[in-house]
Amino acid sequence: MPTNQDIYWNPILETLPQEKLHALQLKKFKRIVSWAYENSPFYKKLYKNAGLEPGDIKKYEDIQKVPKIEKDMMREVQQHKPFPYGDMLAVPLEEVTVFRQTSGTTGTPVYQADTWQDWEWWAECWCYILYSQGYRDSDRIFLPFGYNIFVAFWAGHYAAEKLGAEVVPGGVLDTQARILKMQELKCTAFLATPTYVLGMAAAAKNKLGIDPKKDLSIKRITCAGEPGASIPTTKKRMEDAWGAKVYDHIGATEIGAWSYECAEQPGGLHVNEAFFLVEIEDVETGEIITEPGKDGKMIITALDRMAKPCIRFDSKDVIRWADYQCQCGRTFRIIDGGVVGRADDITKVKGVLLAPTAIEEVVRDIPELGDEYEVVVSKKGDIDDILLKVEIRPGKEKEEENILFRLKDQLRVKTNLGYKIEVHPFGLLPRYEVKAKRFKDQRKKGG
Amino acid sequence: MAEVALKNLDQSIQQMRQIAEELKSKGGRIQAVERNVDRILASIKMLELNISDIKEFL
Repeated sequence: MPTNQDIYWNPILETLPQEKLHALQLKKFKRIVSWAYENSPFYKKLYKNAGLEPGDIKKYEDIQKVPKIEKDMMREVQQHKPFPYGDMLAVPLEEVTVFRQTSGTTGTPVYQADTWQDWEWWAECWCYILYSQGYRDSDRIFLPFGYNIFVAFWAGHYAAEKLGAEVVPGGVLDTQARILKMQELKCTAFLATPTYVLGMAAAAKNKLGIDPKKDLSIKRITCAGEPGASIPTTKKRMEDAWGAKVYDHIGATEIGAWSYECAEQPGGLHVNEAFFLVEIEDVETGEIITEPGKDGKMIITALDRMAKPCIRFDSKDVIRWADYQCQCGRTFRIIDGGVVGRADDITKVKGVLLAPTAIEEVVRDIPELGDEYEVVVSKKGDIDDILLKVEIRPGKEKEEENILFRLKDQLRVKTNLGYKIEVHPFGLLPRYEVKAKRFKDQRKKGG
Repeated sequence: MAEVALKNLDQSIQQMRQIAEELKSKGGRIQAVERNVDRILASIKMLELNISDIKEFL
């Protein structure tokens, strides 16, 4: 019979009743606000301008009095000293031990400073993730990503070492070499974006004649960087291709590794509420949503990140609390279906709200379609136009008419929109190794 | 976990912190001591986040 120590990385924190978690969060929130006020010129000015002193935070509800920060502020502070981080920094520059930056998907990259303690904290957060997904010291974990300025799976690497697993860094190897190394070493797991998980499976089959399900030893895969592992049809494609369990994790360079899907795969991700405070804000009213099932944007605080504090960050990620409990016994609340969209990504097309993840769910549910697709929204006169580019799998071309009928039908049902469909020869749509850019809104400048 | 056991864990963590800080101050700015203790202190901080922070709520 498994004990708590077998199931949880930290059985004390992960099973703490919600009211005690709230008390812990309040204690930590006060601590990080005081720290930022005393050590970061940016935060001191922000709070002084709002008429807020750290001592004003006395009860949980007072957290909402604290001004939020946005990504543009993080970019703006970089114009100030100390170079290159700016005055959001809360430690002397000499204490910074590592530089990372955001990918710049939504604008100028944000530069992130961490001390060694912050880096330990990153790895600690990832230990919660990996342990909950069943990673143990018997695992040999392959990391097929470019070890560079993006945080990507760096902390996953350190966490895997910390929990005693053996790490194989697949850095600069190309995709085929990575697959062959995974086969040779009988690796049991790997970490990658959903796009790359599918891309590796396709490369294994088409270029090496290797069936990942039969010829490799992968038992579990942890995804991050894109929402795919929380989109049921994409998750199924990955699990079918690899014969492995696929788990989701959501984190961000400027926040940390804040959520994870546990081995029970409950349909959502636990928020690590011992290390992060997540609030969900109604986009229209600005009220904090506490009830399950209602979408809002995430306001998040990393409670223990010191060098460049992240306090009440308006992430623009759209999430909702789940109305179900997880069988794993963790008391950390669940966000249903992961991040279901972006407040700045859900766009109106022909007057209808469209979330790009809904299109992916439809495309990946039609087995005759390839994994790749692309959506282009443009404007012709005053009328929006949506073009969906897809590939049909080899050998299924004769079924094109039937496939496209089902595709259009499901798109209309799931998104309430009509699409122009363009079928491309298999293999010709762009392939991505890290974050895919499949949604192109040409109505926006640079879109 | 019982409150007593948690308090015992916390006491041990605080002793470790004290010893590490003493070691750092005795190190006479020897980098090989100072930098290794800094790493030890970062690990001790993780123990505090996992154990010490919660002791008053159990």
